[in-house]
Amino acid sequence: MAITQAMCTSFKKELLEGVHNFKNSGGDTFKLALYAEGGGGKSSTTATLGAATTAYTTTGEVANSGSYTAAGGSLTRVDPSSSGTTGFTDFADISFTTATITAMGALIHNSSDSNKAVAVLDFTSNKTSTAGTFTVTFPAADASNAIIRIA
Amino acid sequence: MFHINVADIGNVKVNTSQNGGFSSDQIADMATDKIVFVADNAPPAIQEQARLFADRVRNLLRGYVDLAKREERATIIQVIEQTGNKELANIIRRL
Repeated sequence: MAITQAMCTSFKKELLEGVHNFKNSGGDTFKLALYAEGGGGKSSTTATLGAATTAYTTTGEVANSGSYTAAGGSLTRVDPSSSGTTGFTDFADISFTTATITAMGALIHNSSDSNKAVAVLDFTSNKTSTAGTFTVTFPAADASNAIIRIA
Repeated sequence: MFHINVADIGNVKVNTSQNGGFSSDQIADMATDKIVFVADNAPPAIQEQARLFADRVRNLLRGYVDLAKREERATIIQVIEQTGNKELANIIRRL
């Protein structure tokens, strides 16, 4: 019963299979879905997400509110890059507006391919917007901080 | 033989607002975080310089965010007044 930050194991395998395309032009559509712990999700469900997560699930997902709808918002891809021996990719920050949301974490998933899981993000505490804006800011796109890195 | 040492994910930040959009301070903080970044393992003197620079950037951004909000509201108020909705225009003017 928890949300544990991780790059999903299935995603690592799928990378080797060429399943995911992060290119800015012609890449897959990736979405960010928000999840609650402690029964805050739809129908009072609680999310259990981590390295073993293989695909988007509605269990524990926050309810629709404002611009947030089921499966989350589409992420704007930034072309993968490299620095030194590290390859990495990035997304533009994403905001859900006029939304009443309490979320403890998120799942990035590939909506172009059966909503396959990419990564679980742990916010470490409940984050709440009330009739306001809920923004997820991605880290600097560099070899030490980028959201998805392979060294 | 290939060997990938590390496949890792970074840490996101979450910003939220209550009963409306972000304040100028919140927007300035978010923009500053994008502009100025200093590694935790940077020498202390460089970290201190970066923090001072970040403070200056934050203050500058806050001022211009406030200005942008005021100017945008002024434009909206004019458009609304031209349609005859003076009461609504006054509500927005008081924001």
